[in-house]
Amino acid sequence: MAERVVLSIGTKKAPSSPKRRSRAASSIFAGRTDGGRGLQHVDRHAGKPSVYASSCNAFFGMKILKSTDMGKTFKETKAAPAFPKDDGRALANIWSIEPGPGKKELWCGVEPAALFRSDNGGDSWEMVPGISNHEHARQWQPGNGGLCMHTIVRDGEPRAPRHLDRRSLPERGRRRHVPARRIRASAPASRRIRIPSSASACTRSSRHEDAPGRLYMQNHGGWANWDGPGGPRPDIGVLRSDDPRQDLAVDRQGAAVRLRLPDRRASARPRHGLRACRSSR
Amino acid sequence: MTHEPQVRVHVPGVLRAYSQGAAELAITAASVRAALEQLERDHPSLYRNVCDETGTVRRHVNLFVNTSHIRDREGLDTALSTGDVVIILPAISGG
Repeated sequence: MAERVVLSIGTKKAPSSPKRRSRAASSIFAGRTDGGRGLQHVDRHAGKPSVYASSCNAFFGMKILKSTDMGKTFKETKAAPAFPKDDGRALANIWSIEPGPGKKELWCGVEPAALFRSDNGGDSWEMVPGISNHEHARQWQPGNGGLCMHTIVRDGEPRAPRHLDRRSLPERGRRRHVPARRIRASAPASRRIRIPSSASACTRSSRHEDAPGRLYMQNHGGWANWDGPGGPRPDIGVLRSDDPRQDLAVDRQGAAVRLRLPDRRASARPRHGLRACRSSR
Repeated sequence: MTHEPQVRVHVPGVLRAYSQGAAELAITAASVRAALEQLERDHPSLYRNVCDETGTVRRHVNLFVNTSHIRDREGLDTALSTGDVVIILPAISGG
């Protein structure tokens, strides 16, 4: 049975979904333009053959777009995430869309950092107050790219996102609360993590499919001279949450990536916590 | 009994998908702010393209009353008279 891989790419010009049916097959671009609107994030709903994209229109605000033909055409959903009128915050960008386990469930991370949820395929949205109105939310400091909820990583349990990464710069060397390990009232509300004094901003995080406790974090650099636990780490690459020796590095000579792939037994190791990053530049 | 001024709101082509294709909307409002409030009630998706959640007119969207930009008058409190045309005009940019 041919393996089907769909890679969705959001750009300022168009969403594209290059598809690869096998290792031997070449990629096919199935996307087309969307009127020139910038697309921040594209994701495919696992339950249905739908592709969702966030469209960030500098003129008329943010939209959620839906495609039912694998990216050939997109149509706006009936509503986009919006802060309550008396909240005082205004949506600046939609950074991430994550399909939920429910048939029409979607999660959405926005700027300024807040989380929204839809249970009808994006036709209506409600703000998730546990993280969006966290007691520290008004004090979060943005990084270079703005105060954004750029990644939503679900832990596989129904309706329970586990890690919500914000692109923000914590104070040097301090511990930081990462709210909403789980945002359900019955689960722990927060978790402490160690912030290395030399690190960088990240823009995406992801979870290992077979090791749910392991996160990978895109790294923009700043770890090459790190002399803390684990020693120097890739200046540009991917950082691992549970074992820095297994980081992935980008070859400085080109685009090749040296992958020191983690073995699956690593998932049984004790976790050392998620390391978040701070720019040293 | 007071009669609210009857005005027209001109909808640019790019936003007519949010006004069921209408190029103009007839409304009664005594000020631009009141006109936007009516727009929010009757055409919420069109309103969201013009204003953000805080009620602020979007940065690259301009509102004119006849030939005057509202920033050169009293902003959202600019008074309207019967027969006035409120024009929604997106900025033109490039580079």
